[in-house]
Amino acid sequence: MLELKHDLKLAKTRDEKARMNFVSGLRAHVLNDMASGMRAVWDGEVEPAFRQHHQRAPANGPEVHKAIRQNEYFKFYSSLRVTAQDMVWQSVFPPLERNRGALKAKAAGLAGRRKGSLTLKPGFEVPRYVSAIDVHLMAGNYDGEYEADDLAAGALYDNGLAVFSFGLMGQNLDDIGQSIAGFIRLKYPDVKPKKILDLGCTIGHNTGSWKDQFPNAEVHGIDVAAPCLRYAHARAEAQGRTVHFQQMNAEALDFPDASFDVVFSSMFLHEIPKKGIEKIMAEAYRVLKPGGLMLHMELPPNSQLSPYDAFYLDWDSAYNNEPFYKPFRDLQPEQLCARAGFAPKKYVQFVIPSVGWYGEKVWSEAATQPREVDSDKTGRLSDGIMWYCFGAWK
Amino acid sequence: MSPAKRATRKRPSAKRAAAKRRTVKPAAAPAAARQPMRRTIRGGRPYFFSDPAIDKVLNMVIVLGSEVWTLRERLAAMEAIQVRQGGLAAGEVDAHEFSAEDEARLGAQRKEFIDSLFRILQEQVEEARGRPVRAKSR
Repeated sequence: MLELKHDLKLAKTRDEKARMNFVSGLRAHVLNDMASGMRAVWDGEVEPAFRQHHQRAPANGPEVHKAIRQNEYFKFYSSLRVTAQDMVWQSVFPPLERNRGALKAKAAGLAGRRKGSLTLKPGFEVPRYVSAIDVHLMAGNYDGEYEADDLAAGALYDNGLAVFSFGLMGQNLDDIGQSIAGFIRLKYPDVKPKKILDLGCTIGHNTGSWKDQFPNAEVHGIDVAAPCLRYAHARAEAQGRTVHFQQMNAEALDFPDASFDVVFSSMFLHEIPKKGIEKIMAEAYRVLKPGGLMLHMELPPNSQLSPYDAFYLDWDSAYNNEPFYKPFRDLQPEQLCARAGFAPKKYVQFVIPSVGWYGEKVWSEAATQPREVDSDKTGRLSDGIMWYCFGAWK
Repeated sequence: MSPAKRATRKRPSAKRAAAKRRTVKPAAAPAAARQPMRRTIRGGRPYFFSDPAIDKVLNMVIVLGSEVWTLRERLAAMEAIQVRQGGLAAGEVDAHEFSAEDEARLGAQRKEFIDSLFRILQEQVEEARGRPVRAKSR
């Protein structure tokens, strides 16, 4: 299990650490070993039966899902994955509950230590797609509050992510941010952003990477969930990063037109219904300066995956309380950008090797040697992960 | 068994309706009081086997596995401390951090432990790969 590297790290007993280690190990087993086992069962059992019955290969992810969900191996994979997902959060609750008072005091001491800031809006309305569900089976979701000035949901997410990611999201859970922000710096050496915005930043774990890669830029992170933003602010201060966090809905930003050089998001759009995504893209276009870059790190679209890999990623939509995940991945990123006003020829798409997994050499080479979506690696949380992102220049 | 049985959410409609009504968060706590965090998932969880009890028993087995592992890790910590100091003091085990070397060894042992827990599922994979499992494997 990954230990958090900042001052908000929870004090845990030996047994609590061991339980977290077990859950991390269980997830690695399910998402590496059993995932490859399920692929073998598909290739050796289920797909041949499908072909025999239909006289053709399956056309898409839903057909694969329908064929495999009767299979016992799929049932064990899925049931164990749900169990592991639940245990991620259950392993965090006891130390978190015990430390809530101390955590709050520590965060208060950290707030405003550097030059970062936190702006919350009393009476802010959290959209229903956040307030009504427990995404990722995380009880309380991002916005649950249990006392005044609560930040426990942020701590639950940070500590849970450390267990959940079994090392694949980097030592500071910022592999996505570091891999992508660093990639942009390498690929476009002439780009010197002055203002950068991270949409749906939760605890700011990937927001800070932009400050690391572009130290002269003013970096902003927005989210709808107050407890995550309170935690994000304290976390950034603990890490010595100057970031401005504000409570805002990405569908209706308070920022003026043409005010940012980069508008970024990671693992964000797939949690939003289609209408919201369209508004977010339009807002990104509006707040970007001419020549600015919009970039969304996401799961790759179904159109760029094999039917089996589309099914594999869509599992989360059906079974991990992510109702908008598959509908988002059924959309065409190029069309989303074009509808928001971006010129089609300004569309960009990158497949970026994880800097933590592959190391600096392979990662930096990707800046000069473009990669296509690798159907069974891109966006998949398992060994050899690569991050997918798309966007456009204004 | 009916082939129509599907591996999907088994949520009675009444429960679903109740889950829909339960969309309001525990209020943004205006009082100074600290309420315990909610630990149950809204909207229920998906079940995959023909009888949801199988999923539940599987969950119990895994939680038990977690506790077995926890005991082993605790024991390893105690042994490490005893070797180092020849005795134990109160709180020492909770405070113990494994060396990088110990951590690596435990990591490998944990992987082995988890593999053995799911050995029975591997049989289907080996068969699907056309490599029938020998009676006495490993």
